[in-house]
Amino acid sequence: MGGPAEQPIIELRDVSKSFPGVRALDHVSFSLRPGECRALVGENGAGKSTLAKIIIGHYTPSEGAVYVGGTNVTEKSGYNVRSSQAMGIAVVHQELQLIPEMNGLENLFIGSYAKRFGLVDRKAMMRKAAEIMDFLGSSVDLTVPIKELRMAEKQIIQLAKAVSMQAKMIIMDELTAVLQEKEIENIYRIIRVLKQRGMGIIYISHRLDEIFEVCDTYTVLCDGRMIHSGEVADVDKDRLIEMIIGREMTQIFPPLNDKFGAPVLELKGFSAGKAFRNIDLTVRAGEVVGIAGLVGAGKTELLNAIFGNYRTTGGEMYWKGEKVNFRKPSAAIRKGIGLVPDERKQLGLVMNFNVVHNITLPSLKRFKKGTMQHRQEREQANQVAQLMRVKATPQQSVVKLSGGNQQKIVISKWVLADSELFLFDEPTRGIDVGAKAEIYKLVGELTAKGKSVIIVSPELEELIGTCHRIYVMFEGEFQTCVSGEQKTQSHIISKLLGV
Amino acid sequence: MPGAAFSSFFKEWAILFIFVGLFAACAIFVDGFFDGNNILNIVRQISFLAIIALGQFFVILIGGIDMSASSSIGFTSVLLAGLVHWENVPIALAIVLVLLASIAVGFVNGLMAVYGKIPAFIATLVTMIVLKGVNYLYSNSIPISGLPAGFKNLGAGHIGPIPTPIVILAVIAIACYVFTMHTATGRSIYAVGGNEEASRLSGINTNKIKMIAFILGSFLTAIGAILITSRTMAGQPTIGENMLFDVITVVVLGGTSLSGGRGKVVGVVIAALILGIIDNAMVLLGIGSYWQWIIKGLILAAVVLIDAKTKKD
Repeated sequence: MGGPAEQPIIELRDVSKSFPGVRALDHVSFSLRPGECRALVGENGAGKSTLAKIIIGHYTPSEGAVYVGGTNVTEKSGYNVRSSQAMGIAVVHQELQLIPEMNGLENLFIGSYAKRFGLVDRKAMMRKAAEIMDFLGSSVDLTVPIKELRMAEKQIIQLAKAVSMQAKMIIMDELTAVLQEKEIENIYRIIRVLKQRGMGIIYISHRLDEIFEVCDTYTVLCDGRMIHSGEVADVDKDRLIEMIIGREMTQIFPPLNDKFGAPVLELKGFSAGKAFRNIDLTVRAGEVVGIAGLVGAGKTELLNAIFGNYRTTGGEMYWKGEKVNFRKPSAAIRKGIGLVPDERKQLGLVMNFNVVHNITLPSLKRFKKGTMQHRQEREQANQVAQLMRVKATPQQSVVKLSGGNQQKIVISKWVLADSELFLFDEPTRGIDVGAKAEIYKLVGELTAKGKSVIIVSPELEELIGTCHRIYVMFEGEFQTCVSGEQKTQSHIISKLLGV
Repeated sequence: MPGAAFSSFFKEWAILFIFVGLFAACAIFVDGFFDGNNILNIVRQISFLAIIALGQFFVILIGGIDMSASSSIGFTSVLLAGLVHWENVPIALAIVLVLLASIAVGFVNGLMAVYGKIPAFIATLVTMIVLKGVNYLYSNSIPISGLPAGFKNLGAGHIGPIPTPIVILAVIAIACYVFTMHTATGRSIYAVGGNEEASRLSGINTNKIKMIAFILGSFLTAIGAILITSRTMAGQPTIGENMLFDVITVVVLGGTSLSGGRGKVVGVVIAALILGIIDNAMVLLGIGSYWQWIIKGLILAAVVLIDAKTKKD
């Protein structure tokens, strides 16, 4: 990390930003030095993206000043996204910033082709690209079109692009939300390499564990205000959480329900080709059962097969003692099973529908008496939305809601449908810490009412905190089921790896 | 914020504002426009187009498109006249048979697009081409006359002071409105168009819904075709060959998103009226028919541009 004499890459002094009716940022100050990785944390709506957009020149501050490399860019007009790029500021986020039809090499050099005699110098570009990929320690194939690459590989190319454009700092916005464990480790490694080279990094993430892995300093935003700023070494996760949500968090996880009923779901020898084999599983009323496993372990396929959305090739499934075979989701839904998919925008919601129409989608028959009973529909949907503490008006289109609220609406669908078994696939992906706690609370409330829940999640802590029992899945088979004292990260991880 | 509420209302109902503005402008600047007979004429003229557009509307709502409409109009016309003139089928029965045939056409479109997983554009293009051949073969490429005189009342008659096609359009429009706004199936059509996979994972029988859309499309198209035939009093294989452009213009102008899931029955009807007003104004102003094509093309371009811009939000 740079010494005190070294000039910060960027500095924000007392920056505020107002929009009509809302103060998005209120007197925020910090600086980023070469080789420093600063975490930017806060709930959704706290002001993180506004801050990032001011740094890259997309917004101008209403008050205060931004200094890039010592120059006050707020004073001169004309600081925009292009000039920030020219001054060495790069952003990598979840949305695609590359051209899908072109390959990595072409994307790296778009707009800045190496030229010889006026023509594009392919050899020079390949050499430079190889240098950069070596530096990053990555072996992503640059000759393959972007659309054929995995998310992690696309991000590495975006990082490579930042390096090739001689960026001095990179804003990493929620990169890891869509990555798997091994890929996340790789990102950590790249961050360390970049830091050594003097790159400054602003790291935005909801996964607080990551911050303790790679960040040196942190800034916590809450409602646009900077709550605290400091060294990561001086703080721990609980304290960080307290700062983010602005109140003391005694428990993120509510106490587990302790009243169980008869088994609602039983799987015996449940198999689906290569995806999973010989699955034996039981869930009782009032129970939360977790499924842990690495990518490719077969967790999502298993969950979908229970829901009738994945073809099975063997074994039996019993619903409340009755043998069943769901060939499509509507059959499972009718029996009382609901699925909260991992991609809520693609699979869980109709984005241009409003809150009410999304919630009632699985239950349309209920409101049909000849024609649709709009008023009853609205009332019942509202009741459920309020029960779930959804922060939205009924007529609002769901596209404008936060991730946490959107997820609550997906859950509301099944609450309204009187589902007995809720299948959650990565329920808190991309959701901030405050909203996560809300979802855990809802899971607890559901089980207190005698409902059952199966959760698939890559976050072991989440499973340990919410589940009574956790099945550990490895390469399509259940290795073990842990409960009680065995529910520890180390024990589960060893089983996860098939050890 | 009141400003935001008004601007979203404006975007939703832009078509209504355009209609009112256009009507007023023509009333003021175009001689002969603001006349009871003229206006009634406009509505009657576009009634066929509006009914066929409502059919296309449902197919576009689920994210598809029905290219076969251009030939199936001729098919309906030719089959109707042929049954009456050559097979001596009473007109009423012939109408029923022809409507059943349209359901079969829609069924075939649906089968290819939904179960065959062929993109709707291609599937319905196939139907269009096949029907085109059928039309010419069946009619020997000449108009078929011999429709009973009474049949003319459908397209050219009146119920009270109002032309019959307008009454039929009103009935169909109201039925479509109720269907889309007040039935579970109507809601499901919007859901499937908005996000098919999410709908399926919510228990909607998406295949069935898409089939219904295709069948509804062909059915309404046939009704429009029957009315057109009643005006011309002959079964012609070429009827409707050029209508598809106007049909899709009307559907998109009416605020229907080509990617599915968004649109209103009212919008489609108003859009048809707008097109009728423009046609009428151009005629009253003496603008040649080839210029009319250019102007209509420009209007469609403007509409699609506005559609794209408002969807960006």
